[in-house]
Amino acid sequence: MADPVALASPLVRIRDLKLEAATQRGTAHILRGVSLDIGRGRILGVVGESGSGKSSLASCLLRLLPANMTRLEGSMVFDGTDLVQLDEASMTLWRGRRIAMIFQDPMTALNPLFTVSTHLVDVLKRRYPGISRDDARSRARAALTSVGIADPDLRLAAYPHQLSGGMRQRVMIAMALLVEPDLLVADEPTTALDATVEAQIVDLFESLRQKFAGSIVFISHHLGLVAQLCDDLCVMYGGTVVETGPVAEVLARPQHPYTRALLACEIDSDAQGGRLVSIPGEVQDPVAPHVACVFAPRCQHADTRCRAGVPPLQDSGAQRRVACLRHGEIG
Amino acid sequence: MSVLASLMSTLRTVCSTLTGAVGFAIVLVVMVCAIFAPWVATHNPDALDVMNRFAAPSGAHWLGTDHLGRDLFSRMVHGASVAMQIAILAIGMALTLGTTLGILAAYLPARSERFVLILFDVISSFPSLVLALAVVAVLGPSTGIVVVIVAVTLVPHFGRVARSQTLTLKNAPFLEAERILGASWPRLVFFHVLPNILGPLVILASMDIPVVITIEAGLSFLGLGVRPPLASWGTLIQDGYQYISQTWLPVVVSSVALGLATLGFTLFGEALRDAVDPRIGREH
Amino acid sequence: MSAARPPEGAQQRNAQHEATPMPPALMKLEGVSVVFGGKVRALDDVSLSIAQGEIVGLVGESGSGKTTLCRVLVALTPATTGTVTLGGEPVAAQLAKSPLAFRRRVQMLLQDAVASLSPRMTIGRTLREPISIHDLPRAEAEVRLQAILQRLGLPADVQAKFPHQISGGQARRVGVARALVMQPQIIIADEPTAGLDVSVQGELLNLLMELQQEFALTYLLVSHNLNVIRRVTGRTAVMYLGQIVEEAPTRELFAKPAHPYSAALLSTNPAIDPARRARRIVLQGEIPSVVNPPSGCRFHTRCPVAQARCKTDAPALAEVGPSRTVRCHFPFSLELTR
Repeated sequence: MADPVALASPLVRIRDLKLEAATQRGTAHILRGVSLDIGRGRILGVVGESGSGKSSLASCLLRLLPANMTRLEGSMVFDGTDLVQLDEASMTLWRGRRIAMIFQDPMTALNPLFTVSTHLVDVLKRRYPGISRDDARSRARAALTSVGIADPDLRLAAYPHQLSGGMRQRVMIAMALLVEPDLLVADEPTTALDATVEAQIVDLFESLRQKFAGSIVFISHHLGLVAQLCDDLCVMYGGTVVETGPVAEVLARPQHPYTRALLACEIDSDAQGGRLVSIPGEVQDPVAPHVACVFAPRCQHADTRCRAGVPPLQDSGAQRRVACLRHGEIG
Repeated sequence: MSVLASLMSTLRTVCSTLTGAVGFAIVLVVMVCAIFAPWVATHNPDALDVMNRFAAPSGAHWLGTDHLGRDLFSRMVHGASVAMQIAILAIGMALTLGTTLGILAAYLPARSERFVLILFDVISSFPSLVLALAVVAVLGPSTGIVVVIVAVTLVPHFGRVARSQTLTLKNAPFLEAERILGASWPRLVFFHVLPNILGPLVILASMDIPVVITIEAGLSFLGLGVRPPLASWGTLIQDGYQYISQTWLPVVVSSVALGLATLGFTLFGEALRDAVDPRIGREH
Repeated sequence: MSAARPPEGAQQRNAQHEATPMPPALMKLEGVSVVFGGKVRALDDVSLSIAQGEIVGLVGESGSGKTTLCRVLVALTPATTGTVTLGGEPVAAQLAKSPLAFRRRVQMLLQDAVASLSPRMTIGRTLREPISIHDLPRAEAEVRLQAILQRLGLPADVQAKFPHQISGGQARRVGVARALVMQPQIIIADEPTAGLDVSVQGELLNLLMELQQEFALTYLLVSHNLNVIRRVTGRTAVMYLGQIVEEAPTRELFAKPAHPYSAALLSTNPAIDPARRARRIVLQGEIPSVVNPPSGCRFHTRCPVAQARCKTDAPALAEVGPSRTVRCHFPFSLELTR
């Protein structure tokens, strides 16, 4: 899906997104000025560990924010419209029409009181308000088949608790696809699944690359999965974006010290014996103010410049961006 | 957070609402009167002074005297003591017995568990006041009997909560971990189950205090409760009611005392429950 | 039914040891079945031998029975049939005679480390639970505990805290400390890196491996993270629907899995480097329910290379190489390709 023309104008342009939440210990900076582009028809992988803010980013895209959120600043320009500025009524129109989301835990994402059929028909009615019942049912059946469910009529009548985890996730994907969104946000969609079931869902996502015309944001902590599935990669740390670029490029030639350290920590299965690498220290407390590079305390290359100010996300090569003052100097 | 620190923190939350603060204030007053009755009271509550009966409030007798010349204020203060003693005794017994049965019910095999639950149902089906009346009518009034009856009727209350809390905990990882370490069943129950179920039970107990006070007062009002010379608020209300034509003050004073105490404990209990409830998620 | 495990042969115990003749088994499961309520066969005729000083890996998905196997090893769940032995003696007899002695020797690290600590007990008290339970000589145990805490990098102030106040990584180390106080022989680690970020799991694994050397421990490591299994264990058993379907030295298993399920499972772990990434083998269908397992070979409903025989004949564990056993009529018929 690497269409050079499409790459020229991103579907979503996020610039300097800041999210703050009120907590007992003070204001938590969940997102500290996130900037990234979501290409049209591309799959963007967002990776990060705990505290990186990747899940909050997903919530921001849908403007489904926690109750204690105090401030959302910056801009998220989706095809010309800034979602940050949009009022709630207009945002409701966007959700479930132009943006759809797949959640991590399929059990809690589906309403236990309603059958699969109701879930799907609900989505269709929102998308096509005048749709007839029969038409909706046949579309729902087709949707289930397209996500690889063998016996769609049986599943349509089933309740969520009667389905396995993998099946439920397929239903969620079917629901998201029925929306025919421009943007599909998948927040760790396979983390809660068994390995062989995960493989099936990943296979499904691969087939979506052909069938689905929109963009996908795939959030995960699993670098191998993202390497296999995604076109572009965005690495997040401590509420900021540290590096972006085409996935193979970033993983083969990482520029940010965090990305390098993270890759070094991946247990290299071929090696024998020896100590495993880890990154010493902890993620910065979200309540702490953002006045320097977030990774500096744990970075072995950090110097006075890094601690003096926030490094901007700058261009560093073909479609690559990195937020590190020293990236050119590090070997 | 140490136990004391978390208690202080809970108190602060309780007092942060108006109802909680009012409840706590009343509870504090009642407890002080109950514990320090001999010092708070101005006179011996049983001291007769028939010459001075039905005296109006004065410097010597803050609330006047009753039909036997006894200082009303002192009798009221001692009434708090009686109420608290009975409440604590009855609730203490019910809490102990109920918790034991509840924990047993959670761990026993299905048959025995069902037996315990049926026992609970049987006890619950009796209205406590009527039961108390019936027993007292047969066996004659006695403070001890009142305490026991009230305690018994409260047992299912605590028992069911104890059981459901224990059931929730039964498969908790930390209990399995302790079993793997080799902990015996008594150790598991006392050191690991009990501390984790006590919270809701204590709150329940604090909300039962007004119930017990009221039951006891009702029985004493009917002359079936505490025996003289002990005087509970119920007795005071009865006495005041008998001589209401002579003076309205005694009946009003003791009724207000009962009413305020009940209100205070209710407000405090509810505020306590609210203070602890959302924190259960944060597990302090 | 598997034959007795051959004691001869070079056996790679773990990545850090030289190949030596296999020492006697420390814990053994022989023909163990666990049936719940007369119907659910959580474990079906499982035999596993864990030798002194080994790190054995256990891999499997939901319904594989790996959790039940762990519970049987620590005697939380009794085996319906079959025998479990520790040091050659049946565990059931040991439990009847001196349960505490058994408990001292076999310990477990639970998957949810924070939840494995008693919520209303301080860490300090929790750490001393084993000392009280086993009536260990206090002074000596205290000294040992302090040394362990220091070795694990747990700060002194953690002892005054409650479980909900410490991090997942710290909770894990507290669990390890609590187990080590008793000087156990074997520790069953259930998903020790679950929930830990990639950037910190290396530290924990290094720690576990060092402790193994220092305290002469034996591990059974259960993990769904195949990279961890591959790096840390010397021998791995793969489970499916209550049975062991393959057992092999880890290196050989990962290089050339014999059972089609193993192959599929190993292919689900994509490598970051495209050159080393295996082609993903996607299985059809869902994991069957343990209550009603498929006839014949339990895996035949999802097996990409199943044949007629697989539907009717249940395969037994058979040797396919030195120290390698597989439960399959047609081993090596599904390959991992790049």
